[in-house]
Amino acid sequence: MSETPSPSSSPSSPASPASRWRRQLGAVVRLELKKTFPLRTLLWLLLLALMPVGLFVLRTIGLLINRQPVETGEAMRDMAALFQAFSLRIVIPLACAVMFGSLIRREQLDRSLHFYLLTPLRRELLAAGKYLAALIVAVTLLGASTVACFVLSFAPFSSGAFGRYLASGPGLRHLGAYLLVTVLACVAYGAVFLACGVIWKGPVIPTLVVLGWELIHAWLPHTLQWVSALHYLQPLCPVPISAGLFAMLSSAPSPWLAVPLLLALATASLALAARRTRRLRIRYEED
Amino acid sequence: MSTADAKGSPAGERRVVFENVSKFYGEVLGVNRIDLSIPPGITGLVGPNGSGKTTLMNLMVGLIEPTSGRMELVGLPRGRPEGKFRHIGYATQYDAFPRGLTGFELICSLLLVHGYERAAAEALTWRAIERVGLKDAAHRKVAAYSKGMRQRIKLAQAMAHQPSMLVLDEPLNGLDPMARAEVIALFRELAEAGMHVIVSTHILHEVDLIADQVVLLNAGYVVAEGEIGGVRDEMEEEHPIQVLVRCARPSLLASRVFEHDHVVEAKIVEHGGGLLVRTRDADRFYLLLNRVALDEDVGIEGVAPADADVQAVYEYLISSPGGGGGKS
Repeated sequence: MSETPSPSSSPSSPASPASRWRRQLGAVVRLELKKTFPLRTLLWLLLLALMPVGLFVLRTIGLLINRQPVETGEAMRDMAALFQAFSLRIVIPLACAVMFGSLIRREQLDRSLHFYLLTPLRRELLAAGKYLAALIVAVTLLGASTVACFVLSFAPFSSGAFGRYLASGPGLRHLGAYLLVTVLACVAYGAVFLACGVIWKGPVIPTLVVLGWELIHAWLPHTLQWVSALHYLQPLCPVPISAGLFAMLSSAPSPWLAVPLLLALATASLALAARRTRRLRIRYEED
Repeated sequence: MSTADAKGSPAGERRVVFENVSKFYGEVLGVNRIDLSIPPGITGLVGPNGSGKTTLMNLMVGLIEPTSGRMELVGLPRGRPEGKFRHIGYATQYDAFPRGLTGFELICSLLLVHGYERAAAEALTWRAIERVGLKDAAHRKVAAYSKGMRQRIKLAQAMAHQPSMLVLDEPLNGLDPMARAEVIALFRELAEAGMHVIVSTHILHEVDLIADQVVLLNAGYVVAEGEIGGVRDEMEEEHPIQVLVRCARPSLLASRVFEHDHVVEAKIVEHGGGLLVRTRDADRFYLLLNRVALDEDVGIEGVAPADADVQAVYEYLISSPGGGGGKS
């Protein structure tokens, strides 16, 4: 405790603000991955992400016990039904609500957000860095879950049939499409729930409203179905559900419209979250 | 440390200036009509809970914006608040940290968020950790630290980026006597290097130990400011100073000093071991005491101001008719 402090100095400055922002963004992402998503939290999120996998495991066990023959088409339909009715409607939105909704609010409540707010970091970068960190986790966990479901949907087949489906059939394209839908769902729901968490002091109710809205999408009037992320995600699924409550609407948007609209929704939500983060003020009530 | 001082401050001296600054939370008063000009050195913000200390500190660092008034921080340009944080370090009173990080990770990660390159961040982190004496515990989780260690890691985090202004909310809470002495020595070292070290406390005697100047707050108002001795002098007319004289013949001493108009009261203390004198002019009283000691055999053993510390000043201020209602 004897060194004389040197005068205030700025960080070893990179050439441009853009490169400094990139470096700061990377630092926020790494810090978030370390402190917001430690192993224990990841295990809980993994359990949530693995729920559809669990259903497929049960299905596979049932099919193997009954020695029930399954056609490739039936496996594809099972995957489509489980993904669209369960993963896309329940698991992915719920996981995103858990991961993104409390990114900023939790730190306000435990009074550690000021550590970020007292650094020379643009608030927009803070929101973006937190979003990117959660997106990495969400895409990794939910993407792995989607891949596992896809593989398990063909588990009752011989490895040769699955190999032919992948190599010479539409398997890889289908898998890619499911992964794309998973990623886009994380991008869109993540941004929406991040915005909910920043805008409302008590984000539980708005989050439940969004989750409920997506869940009852199939029961909504056609016009209202357009005000739903699910409406734009479902047409991107490679195998449509042709009948039943969750069947795709004939009026569903084309993929060329759906993807830009989903990205626009995410961008608008992120912009809103960034704007609110910019105006964030910490009040220490106990003064 | 007044606004007038600010206008006439030496060229190049960077001050923290508040001009008529008020902060309201809705209809609730945070601080009101604050005029301050704080020079480099250690400044103590003193006041009971709810007096506005933390609001004032949050205003200083830019965590909150004033409802009205103007602030100037150590010559920093106005504009985007994040730019200020290169030059300001703030340790809040809150014992909360990002979860799961070691002391080293906490400081280094935040320096990376500042924009430092990794090598520079690590070097600055080690330097700050060494200065607060936590080198051996650097790779332990902050959650496993004692209260005193957490206080020190907060201090290290606040000063790691070498700010020119350090704002510390109750920084001595939870420190053992040895650590307090080390931290106070560190404050002095930083102040001597030209830094503003602004320290809040509600434990008044700490300020006497730490601060070069003091800002006394009550109910959102500054009730006094300046060097603690100067503040006390300003008040002598309204609030006579008390001096305890330990002597062998207190009644003789009482009869001699009571002849003078600046002596308001002379009271023999219990068991007759001394005299408690209240005077409006401490300097004249000490001269008088010297004369009496030379002329008479009163057997003076010791002389001590009985209430020149911050506690006494503060009690005077908040109990006076104007106390809490405006600046003295």
